[in-house]
Amino acid sequence: MRYGQLREPAFGVARSVQYAPQTLRKVTGCPLPTMAPYAAMDETHISIEQVSFSRGDRLIFDGISMEIPRGRITAIMGPSGTGKTTLLRLIGGQLVPDSGRVLVNGLEVASLSRRRLYELRKRMGMLFQSGALLTDLSVFENVAFPLREHSRMPEDMIRDMVLMKLQAVGLRGATELMPAELSGGMARRVALARSIVLDPEMIMYDEPFTGLDPITMGTIVTLIKRLNRALGITSLLVSHDVEETLSIADHVILISAGKVVEAGLPAELAASASPWVQQFIQGLPDGPVPFHYPAPDPLEQFLGGDHA
Amino acid sequence: MLDLFAGLGAATLSALQRTGRGFIFLLRTLAGVPLLLARPGLLVKELFSTGVQSLLIILVSGLFVGMVLGLQGYVTLSKFGAEESLGVMVALSLVRELGPVVTALLFAGRAGSALTAEIGLMKSTEQLSGMEMMAVDPIHRVIAPRLTAGFIAMPILAALFSAVGILGGYLVGVGLLGVDAGSFMSQMQAGVDWRIDVLNGVIKSIAFGFVVTWIAVFEGYDAVPTSEGVSQATTRTVVHSALAVLALDFVLTGLMFT
Ligand SMILES: Nc1ncnc2c1ncn2[C@@H]1O[C@H](COP(=O)(O)OP(=O)(O)OP(=O)(O)O)[C@@H](O)[C@H]1O
Ligand SMILES: [Mg+2]
Repeated sequence: MRYGQLREPAFGVARSVQYAPQTLRKVTGCPLPTMAPYAAMDETHISIEQVSFSRGDRLIFDGISMEIPRGRITAIMGPSGTGKTTLLRLIGGQLVPDSGRVLVNGLEVASLSRRRLYELRKRMGMLFQSGALLTDLSVFENVAFPLREHSRMPEDMIRDMVLMKLQAVGLRGATELMPAELSGGMARRVALARSIVLDPEMIMYDEPFTGLDPITMGTIVTLIKRLNRALGITSLLVSHDVEETLSIADHVILISAGKVVEAGLPAELAASASPWVQQFIQGLPDGPVPFHYPAPDPLEQFLGGDHA
Repeated sequence: MLDLFAGLGAATLSALQRTGRGFIFLLRTLAGVPLLLARPGLLVKELFSTGVQSLLIILVSGLFVGMVLGLQGYVTLSKFGAEESLGVMVALSLVRELGPVVTALLFAGRAGSALTAEIGLMKSTEQLSGMEMMAVDPIHRVIAPRLTAGFIAMPILAALFSAVGILGGYLVGVGLLGVDAGSFMSQMQAGVDWRIDVLNGVIKSIAFGFVVTWIAVFEGYDAVPTSEGVSQATTRTVVHSALAVLALDFVLTGLMFT
């Protein structure tokens, strides 16, 4: 990235907090004002075509297909262990599908040369579920890392960029801390600052909300929304926080057992007649979604095979 | 019986696969080494952590090994009235064999295991995979500087080991047992050949440094990303490095000194 290309980050930091309460509003029964202008979906940014993927004997995706529009917030939801993180890794080219294609900007990710793949990844931000901060670098250096690796910016410019991103996640005061000295939520916020420091054209957020207090959560929700609205960053949001997710997503895809179960606007989902969708959105323990990882009959397992 | 053969076959296959992965990994790492010229800072940092932090253990061990050589050599040589040759004996043992070999073994225990654990933990905490997603090749950014640093540090450490060892031999021989200082030094200078002894010793230490560091970074990179996997990889680094160094020493000695 060259000097002249820098996009001024549009999220005014001071303003981010005051939006927080709005995002905590109940989703159900309340039509969302943000939905209307985005109802029409346009150009596809990422498309997943008939992708199958398995880990060992376990089939994780079974011919799954979906399209992720450019410049929108697409939420991917589904029970734990269905392969949401796996899906993000397939899009990022860290895993290769057994069959089917993953296209980003019309390019098939799995067939790119290493160099072209890395070019693509420079325009892709990813927030890892674990944060994945580099433990031997301070918070400041962690956020500066992509800039130092990919640009020859002058030092004062790097400093400004990094402080700006850290300010956006509320951690400008933590620059000198080491990752080991951060709480889980703080580490996630530093990782978020790092994933947006190159001003990517798309960001994949893997569970950005877990372990955040309500205020920080509100700030991060707003930040994600602003990054998308102001800069048009395609956002792929994996999250279990139904309420927050539905409040900012333009489009929601529910996956389970290797398939897309339901896809549509948040309001459509909230109004869906499908018992599966209702169970997931309302968080009911009983219903068509299995809470358990596939297991043998409990009676058999608890009592030992010969008692069955 | 059939199970035994099947097991043996599977083990051989997986060992071959690992070796193959190790070589591909090495080639990719070497391809990243020229990039270090543009970023010498990375190399300096690794030189510090592999080289400087191994310095103390190398110096102390070198001193003791030299002192033991002085004692043992004196006892044996004095039987033949050849105490004056103590200098050349101590120096040759160190420069040709003990310097490179013992340094490599200590280096594997001190720096090699640390490298494996560090890289293995970076893998298990998704730091390597995070780098990949930031379009930074971890093999170039993390592995190449470490391999190069080990490669540079080992010969220097081995030379220091030998130098301190000779000092230890001198202290014991001349200071404690009364060997004549002049003849200790002059015999040593006359008896140690620059090309045959010193240069070959340096070649050995370069080869050992390369092998030990390669094993260490590969084990870390290839580790199963769990705490158990990393601890096993660390153990393997030390064991495999030691075996590789001793076997390689036999081969190199055969080629150089016969
Ligand atoms: N490295 C791995 N080796 C083998 N199996 C794996 C590996 N990583 C994940 N899996 C399996 O793949 C499946 C999907 O994992 P994934 O991490 O994508 O789930 P997820 O949807 O992100 O879950 P969560 O919401 O809990 O993060 C899981 O059943 C898991 O057991
Ligand atoms: Mg996950």
